[in-house]
Amino acid sequence: MTSTESPTTDRLSSRRRYRRLMFGSIAAAVVSALALRNLGYPLLSEGVYWVGILAFLAVWWGSPVSLFDERDRALERRASQLTLTVAAVVLVLGASAARLLTEATSYAVPTVVWGALYGYVGLFAAFAVAYLWVRYRP
Amino acid sequence: MNNDLRDRRDRADMSQADLAAAVGVSRQTINAIERDRYDPSLELAFELADYFDCRVEDLFDPDLDGNGADDRAE
Repeated sequence: MTSTESPTTDRLSSRRRYRRLMFGSIAAAVVSALALRNLGYPLLSEGVYWVGILAFLAVWWGSPVSLFDERDRALERRASQLTLTVAAVVLVLGASAARLLTEATSYAVPTVVWGALYGYVGLFAAFAVAYLWVRYRP
Repeated sequence: MNNDLRDRRDRADMSQADLAAAVGVSRQTINAIERDRYDPSLELAFELADYFDCRVEDLFDPDLDGNGADDRAE
C-alpha cells in the first residue's frame, strides 16, 4: 500500500469526510437543539434543528462523490426488514396484551401505549402503501 | 460466495482501496466480498470481472475450493 496521497485515497477519504459531515450535522443539530430547549430558547432550538436538517440534505445532494454503494443499500434493506419484524412482533403482542388487560382486568392501559401501538399501525399502513407503489408503479 | 478476488488483487499489487475506487464502491465493500460476507450484485460482479479481464465464473464460483477452478480447467 502506498503512503502517498493518490486520487484513489482522495476519493475514499472524500466519501468518508462527506458522510461524517452529513451525519455529524444532524447529530450536532439535535444535541444543540436539545440543549437550547432545556436552556429556555425553544425558537432558537428549532432553528438550529432545521439548520442541521438542511445541512444534512445539502451534503447528501451536493456531495461530488457517491456516499453510499450497493452494500450500504443492502445493509439498509436488511436493517429495515429487521426493524419491521421487531415492530410487527411488538404490535401483535402489545395490541393483544393491551386489549386483554383492558377487558379482563381493571387496569387502564396508559394512553401513551395506545398511541405507540397506533403509531406502529401507521407505520405498517405506510409500508403497505409504499410496497404497492413500488410494485405497481408504471 | 467463494471467490478469488483477494488473490487476483494481490497479484495485481493493489490495495482494497485501489480496487474499490476502480469499480466505484467503498473499501469496506471489497473487504466484505473478500471475506465472503457480502454477495455483490450482478452488475458489480461483472465490473470486477471486467476489471481483472476474466469471466465472472472465474472470479466468483460457489464451488470454488482453492484448486477446483484449476481442476475443472483440465
